[in-house]
Amino acid sequence: MIGTAKKPFDEILAALKGFQKIGMVGCDGCAKVCLTGGSDEVAALAQELKTQGKEIVFEASPERTCNMAKAKPVLDPLKDKIQASDALLVLGCGGAVQIARYVTETLGLTLPVKTGLNSVGHMDTTVPGQIAIEQCQECGDCILNDTGGICPVTKCAKGLLNGPCGGSEDGKCEVDPARDCAWVLIYNRMVALGEVDNLKKFVGAKDYSKAAKPRTLYIKEGRVA
Amino acid sequence: MKLTQAFKKKEFVITSEVGPVKGCARNGHNAAFIAEAATIQPYVHAFNVTDNQSAVMRLGSLAASVLLKQAGLEPIYQITCRDRNRIALQSDLLSACTLGIDNVLCLTGDHLKMGDHPTGKGVFDIDSVQLLDIARGLNQGHDMMGHELTAATDLALGAVVNPNFQPLDLQLLKMEKKIAAGAEFFQTQAVYDPKLFEAFVRKVEGVGVPIQFGLVLLKSPKMGTFMNERISGIKVPQALIDEMASVPPEGYKDKSLEIATRLLKEISPMVQGIHFMPLGWSDLVPQLASTARDAAR
Repeated sequence: MIGTAKKPFDEILAALKGFQKIGMVGCDGCAKVCLTGGSDEVAALAQELKTQGKEIVFEASPERTCNMAKAKPVLDPLKDKIQASDALLVLGCGGAVQIARYVTETLGLTLPVKTGLNSVGHMDTTVPGQIAIEQCQECGDCILNDTGGICPVTKCAKGLLNGPCGGSEDGKCEVDPARDCAWVLIYNRMVALGEVDNLKKFVGAKDYSKAAKPRTLYIKEGRVA
Repeated sequence: MKLTQAFKKKEFVITSEVGPVKGCARNGHNAAFIAEAATIQPYVHAFNVTDNQSAVMRLGSLAASVLLKQAGLEPIYQITCRDRNRIALQSDLLSACTLGIDNVLCLTGDHLKMGDHPTGKGVFDIDSVQLLDIARGLNQGHDMMGHELTAATDLALGAVVNPNFQPLDLQLLKMEKKIAAGAEFFQTQAVYDPKLFEAFVRKVEGVGVPIQFGLVLLKSPKMGTFMNERISGIKVPQALIDEMASVPPEGYKDKSLEIATRLLKEISPMVQGIHFMPLGWSDLVPQLASTARDAAR
């Protein structure tokens, strides 16, 4: 999922300065899992905004606001209410915010679309409702087959491909002693799998052109460009 | 002079280290780091010039290396992968050779979070093993994409290894990769435990690449504790910290010399050279260099 964290309320108010009537769009996908933008969080923030004198025109939370197939059927019928809003506030990832904007454009409407969240990465939930961790950078050239299923591009703070840096100590990372050194994890895993010799292979410089943004995925063709 | 020539001649290679200033050093101003190095020039082969060490922004290591060269000192230009992408790294290596640099030490670099610009974006486009491979390619007359250079570089390629690392076999795996990628000499991280260093040396017997023992002068008990708590990859035994604390502050320098002398007597016979990191106490280096050379004979 895409991890999200709430922006400070003051920052949200600053973004909504000058806008009285607010339409609120959440996301009952990833943001719901992160407890930042599901229906419940939208309702809670709507109440807070009302105490600040804002008028909430509508609340909606598509199942996946980042997906036109899910967002449009929910938002299209709200066209009049969107039109009556001074601005939309989206509680979703950066993608959800931009899809919401796109939907308004397809409806022929031009109004500000603001966000109440910060997107913090491709996250995997390890402890539901509590912890999600970043394990994948979507680099476009997955090497998990060679690293025991542990990604050094993401889990090593320096993204090193040929082994640990000198800053690793007692299996922990120099950047954060609470964090495991990715390369010690990989090494231990490869030892356990009996594949440690595979780590002796020189890994050449990564082809970052495969991660050059912005990428487009042509779903039917399976092509990325 | 390339350091590799000294190793080939079986010289016991002594290097020290200078950290460029945090400021402009034009027209000889602000160049105390060069003056400090000059005082011990007769006793060492070359000086590492650190590259924004600890991720603290300073005068660039290439400019500082050139200043050393102009002052008649032999620099070992340190280059890290933290702040430059593959184009900048290759270009800087070409620049270094063009400006008369003969030795380069290829490093990953400390993470930005450790330094004075923690909000910056780390580059780490390539890693230290890849950098060695790329630098070797430049020596062979081509860039990393295989494009021919109008003239090849001629740089001696150094690398680092950390004997304190656990599991050691993982560190050795990387060391072997560095050798295969073109590393011609190694400098170790600071080690304060001769037994630990001996275990490392036994593991690397026969690698065929010279190794310099890295020695950071312990300047106070507080520094020992600081390194244990804040500098990843270095372990100072508590016994050494206690020994340092057993003398009054005015005795720290003598005690530092005594501890370093003891370490060098034990470890010098195991290695092909010493790399001193004197942290301002360069005046101790001549005597320690002499001790190390005698012990290595």
